[in-house]
Amino acid sequence: MRFEMREMRNSGGKRTSMKPNTQAATGGQRKSASRSEPLGVNTEIGRKLKQYYDELVSEDVPDKFADLLKQLEDRETPSSTSNEGN
Amino acid sequence: MGDPSIFKNDLLGAIPSLRAFAMSLAQNADKADDLVQETLVKAWDKQASFQPGTNLKAWVFTILRNEFYSQMRKRGREVQDSDGLITARLAVHPSQLGSMDLNDFRGALETLPEDQREAIILIGASGFSYEEAAEICDCAVGTIKSRVSRARTRLQELLNVSGESDYGPDAISAQVMGSNAA
Repeated sequence: MRFEMREMRNSGGKRTSMKPNTQAATGGQRKSASRSEPLGVNTEIGRKLKQYYDELVSEDVPDKFADLLKQLEDRETPSSTSNEGN
Repeated sequence: MGDPSIFKNDLLGAIPSLRAFAMSLAQNADKADDLVQETLVKAWDKQASFQPGTNLKAWVFTILRNEFYSQMRKRGREVQDSDGLITARLAVHPSQLGSMDLNDFRGALETLPEDQREAIILIGASGFSYEEAAEICDCAVGTIKSRVSRARTRLQELLNVSGESDYGPDAISAQVMGSNAA
């Protein structure tokens, strides 16, 4: 298969990139580092993303959520002993 | 099935992550907390359908996400209105090399479409695998991958982060263009 890259004409005669076959063959390896962890801690975006999220996760949780779950739990077992008057 | 008090404790433990995810989606603390409350009620009511031993966090994230989109549909997508403003602010306040501020990042994240934002949060911050994220978002793994790539590329553009690695963002965007030109 012959490579006919038309863009080559416009690239100002730079010939260094004219080895598409070997590039294609090894390209996967070259990229694998960034591809396997595109948002890893050694990327700026990856770091900021974690910083942004960790800040949210570590916020104090208002009591209303625990209260809500308590209510839901109590609702589940209405025949509780507390109401056994007689 | 399972012990309701264990289930309750597990839900309690998931609240910080749920709130973070809700904030990432809703971009507003009140709405986020409403979302979390609604999610807890729904999760409680559906607890019979949760299989103990499977990933509870992924399960409740799925509920929260569904709740978010159904609320958004009801409200008629008011969420996106601020896009222009944020973009403008970013444009006159470009981050200097290496000094990207967390506020800049937050602003840039807000401008992403929800599907890209949730994908990059689930993968890059919440610690889910691509498979789990695909399940949460009810889409194919490949779809999650391309959303993450697009989100990452967009954030790099907005924040003037040039090459993240030796190869730069082109390695990722080329992949996206090649497999999923959209």
